Amino acid sequence: MAYDQPLSRSPLLKVQSLSIALYSRASKVYAVDGLSYELEQGETLAIVGESGSGKTVSNMAPLGLMPVGVSADIRGKVLFKGEDILTCSIERLRALRGAEIGVIFQDPLSALNPARTIGRQIAEVAELHLGFSHTASEARALDLMKMVGISEPAMRMRQYPHELSGGMRQRVVIAMAIAAEPSLLLADEPTTALDVTVQAQIIRLIKDIQSRLGMAVVLITHDIGVVAGMADKLVVMYAGRVAEYGYAKQVLTRPVHPYTQALLNSLPRDTDLPGTEFRGLVGSPPSLAVRASGCAFSPRCHKAFGKCVEARPSLFDVHEGGLHTSACFASADAELEVGV
Amino acid sequence: MRAPVLQVENIVTTFPGSRPGSRITACDHISFTMNEGEIVGLVGESGCGKSTLGRSIVGLERPSSGRVVFDGVDLASLSGRKLREHRRKIQYIFQDAYASLNPRQTIGQILDETLRVAGEKDARRRNSKIEMLLPQVGLSGEIAARYSRELSGGQRQRVSIARALVMEPRVLVCDEPVSALDLSIRAQVMNVFLKLSRELNVASLFIAHDLALVHQASQRILVMYLGRLMEMGDSETLYRSSRHPYTRALLSAIPDPNPRVEQSRKAIVLKGDVPSPMSPPSGCLFHTRCWMKEEKCMHDIPSLFEGENTLQRSACHFASEVPARAAGLLSGS
Repeated sequence: MAYDQPLSRSPLLKVQSLSIALYSRASKVYAVDGLSYELEQGETLAIVGESGSGKTVSNMAPLGLMPVGVSADIRGKVLFKGEDILTCSIERLRALRGAEIGVIFQDPLSALNPARTIGRQIAEVAELHLGFSHTASEARALDLMKMVGISEPAMRMRQYPHELSGGMRQRVVIAMAIAAEPSLLLADEPTTALDVTVQAQIIRLIKDIQSRLGMAVVLITHDIGVVAGMADKLVVMYAGRVAEYGYAKQVLTRPVHPYTQALLNSLPRDTDLPGTEFRGLVGSPPSLAVRASGCAFSPRCHKAFGKCVEARPSLFDVHEGGLHTSACFASADAELEVGV
Repeated sequence: MRAPVLQVENIVTTFPGSRPGSRITACDHISFTMNEGEIVGLVGESGCGKSTLGRSIVGLERPSSGRVVFDGVDLASLSGRKLREHRRKIQYIFQDAYASLNPRQTIGQILDETLRVAGEKDARRRNSKIEMLLPQVGLSGEIAARYSRELSGGQRQRVSIARALVMEPRVLVCDEPVSALDLSIRAQVMNVFLKLSRELNVASLFIAHDLALVHQASQRILVMYLGRLMEMGDSETLYRSSRHPYTRALLSAIPDPNPRVEQSRKAIVLKGDVPSPMSPPSGCLFHTRCWMKEEKCMHDIPSLFEGENTLQRSACHFASEVPARAAGLLSGS
């Protein structure tokens, strides 16, 4: 890292033109195509999109976390504290994961070892990444369990994952992810498997820990409500590409891309009376096995015109100088007209 | 006034517990009625017994006591062919449409087989019936030649509705039919349920955990917690002025998509998790997490059928105080 640049000047995480193609024996999928965003220390960036839009792959593949039997062709840059994690060694990646970058997986049950006590699993992270002794790491595990709000932590230390409820398991997974006080936390659908009344508790917990430790959070979700409750910045993905990117307050209240607009429009509103038609989109997301020549959203878009089928729109600035971009010909033209 | 097509009376369904001889009560004296063409929402968190209740109604579980009366006939009094004929009129829609469709058959073959089982012997009539069914669920005829893996989640769920319609059901029990679908395509399926209710007079029990969705779809809502009904009432009344602290917490969990509102609004956040059904709390089942709990709640079981308000029934000792207390909590005074 260059010494003449103060750390605070460069973002904690900078993703530049990230493209990921996935190969299995049978197929090839263009999962992520040209994803770019920046994240400062302490910020939360949410990535939303439909299932298969590439939101999970874009975060897991660069860390070397891939399903068995799938290989990835990854291009672009993922700069974490100035270091490109796409070019670093497997050993370095292993050291970063858990220590500098914590990960919360969607399904807490499959992220935990069923045959070991939860106390041991949390303590192990402290041993591995902080070099703590056995006793010190056990004490650290106890502290962490208190911090994530697990009741009767001393007794629960000796329990196994199957003895805990879903909410408690997710707390254990969060405790493991933050055990080494990482500066970046990747949370992949952290509340999806949980009941609505427990979701609110977990979101409060993540926000609370984040402000205490000054962590940055990348939150992968399909739940607009979670985004509204947590995110500073928002990336809306569609079919592996960025549809819209900007500050969450702006994107959610003044969306520009027709997909973002349709997504927000599909949420049931307080004013929708019983028995009224539901708003949504026609059609379904495209297959990622073939690269569309035009905008991937055009078949479902009510604003699409000739150009949208022929060429792929690149991101344009919605506001001069501000952080708000959208990849849409129709809204780009509309904005220009407004400008004139 | 529409006639009730389904009456559920004091249903109790239990399962063996982990200790020998112990029983877990998944449905604890549940009673409600459904009118023709009515959509009734059933909400609650995982493990509250809402799926078991749905399964008990269609006969996938055997209740230990209580009655399911369909069209005036107690289903338990029937057997053999008579029972099968009645059961056909109550169809079940699964959450996972993918797992409930045969991957080796085309959609046309799946529907054809269902029609054959339903007793339609003439192949040409089966064909024309399929051509009629698909548009009813918003699908084009060309879908018939495709396999389920070639369809999107929303299309698959509509195929499973079409299959249920083969039996010309009067009641559909739909268990989280849109939970696995992306937000933008949920509407496609939800609007099919609305249409069936309006045009074919099919009644639906709509099981879900998303209260905002259920409010928009249903005429009436039932709220379940740990096997018991906490509140039931007219959808709009329950949504705007619920008289149960648990329903209030569920309503409070509905987020606002505007970050400014969402990050500053006050919410009723419950403490802890749902207790284990193996050792349910005494008195009111909700008292361990309730924000209005008082001494009485720990000993006395509140009844759903007390009081004179028949449009909205709440199993809370302090039902009449709930709206004011919730308003006070959310405004911060």
